[in-house]
Amino acid sequence: MLELRDVWKAYDTNGRERFVLRGISARFQQGDAIGILGRNGAGKSTLIRLVSGLETPTRGEIRRDMSVSWPLGFGGAVHPSITGADNCRFLARLYGKSPGMVESFVEEFAELGEHFRMPVYTYSTGMQGRLAFGLSMAIDFDFYLIDEAIAAGDARFTARCVAALEERRKRSALLLVSHSDQLLRAFCNSAAILHEGKLTFHEDLDQAIAAYHAL
Amino acid sequence: MISGVRQIVEGGRVQSRVLTAIMLRELHTRFGRHHLGYLWVFLEPMILGGSIALLHYVSGHDLPGGMDVAAFYIVGYTPYYLFRAILNRASTTVMANLPLFYHRQVSYTDVMLARHVLDCATVTIAIFIMIGVLTVLGGEFPHDPLKIVVGVAIMAAFCHGFAMLILAATIWGAENVERLVHPFTYLMIPFTGAFIMVWWLPTELQAYALLNPTIHMFEFIRDGQFGPVVPYHWDLGYMLAATAVVNVLGMLAMRAVRGRLATSH
Repeated sequence: MLELRDVWKAYDTNGRERFVLRGISARFQQGDAIGILGRNGAGKSTLIRLVSGLETPTRGEIRRDMSVSWPLGFGGAVHPSITGADNCRFLARLYGKSPGMVESFVEEFAELGEHFRMPVYTYSTGMQGRLAFGLSMAIDFDFYLIDEAIAAGDARFTARCVAALEERRKRSALLLVSHSDQLLRAFCNSAAILHEGKLTFHEDLDQAIAAYHAL
Repeated sequence: MISGVRQIVEGGRVQSRVLTAIMLRELHTRFGRHHLGYLWVFLEPMILGGSIALLHYVSGHDLPGGMDVAAFYIVGYTPYYLFRAILNRASTTVMANLPLFYHRQVSYTDVMLARHVLDCATVTIAIFIMIGVLTVLGGEFPHDPLKIVVGVAIMAAFCHGFAMLILAATIWGAENVERLVHPFTYLMIPFTGAFIMVWWLPTELQAYALLNPTIHMFEFIRDGQFGPVVPYHWDLGYMLAATAVVNVLGMLAMRAVRGRLATSH
């Protein structure tokens, strides 16, 4: 289980404290697949970074009994100057997994061909996304944090992502940040709207999407 | 109690996993797998340290006490290279390693620690390779090699503390710190003790010089190389105390800026 209790987050902008999140409470467990809808600048990335543990709340607390992925987006978490394969070995070591197993899993999953053994800076964004997503599947988290950008690869790869996540649905949870109705429907079974620092949950996807468009 | 111990053991396991992983990755990103590959790790300080030693050897100035000129500059310049490398790189730790900080278990200080352990090891090996070459050419093998190893390690630890202070200041918002660090490491050359011995100084200056911990460190390393042919001035207790103080301050400073973002992603 992962729980947020009255989480507030402020950033210092030009010497003034500006609250991005204003008292968010939520509880996630295995089997949840929740989409977070919000306008640009609503604080979606901040929320994801807090949940992943990269940042700490200004107020409130976050309790984690699950292993949580890094925020999955393009690149970011992988190092551009070393090869895809070396990135696999590095992250495997970092997360205490077998470097050989992670490497062979990602090689098969990400379908990068010979690029797998070339520096990541030579990759297209789609390829970077595939590498990052493959890595997160190989390391096997209980809770996946996904930025919509990565899910919006080509149709074939999106289908693979959906299938891979579906397969581990019972034992893992998923949080997807997105503007896209289509992606939300592909990945999620419920959604929440982040607006003015507050998070509102909707059991029904259609209702959530309608409410978001009405904002 | 038991769960507390277990937590510490688990924390230690994660930490050592993280440090090993970063060191291996650092070797990759710094030096690549191809060409001369890992050889560059040692070549870089050797080229610099070796050239300085050669310059002074060729210019033919004798050193007081009849110390070997090349050896003097090797055990002086190479640890100074370590000092400069650690301090100059401190403020770019975050930007240069952004991908690492997408992973919760990696802290800024972990990255610094891994790099500095690596720097310390490579500089030590480089010194011994160069001194080894000198020995083969008819020079003298270090009088007490352990002193050189310990001296370089203390130097690295001292600089590590200093580097944490610089990074903390950078994160805290003083980005200009970086601009000050570079001239500082140059201007410090005469004051670090890399190329100057305390007994060369007038007596009234010696007490002031010995306030600077790095002067003790260079004297200690030189003692390890040359042995009791000239007088040395070092106090191991003072070096260790200064290193401890700088590291505690560094850790407190890093703690103080923990909630702050060094980056905006």
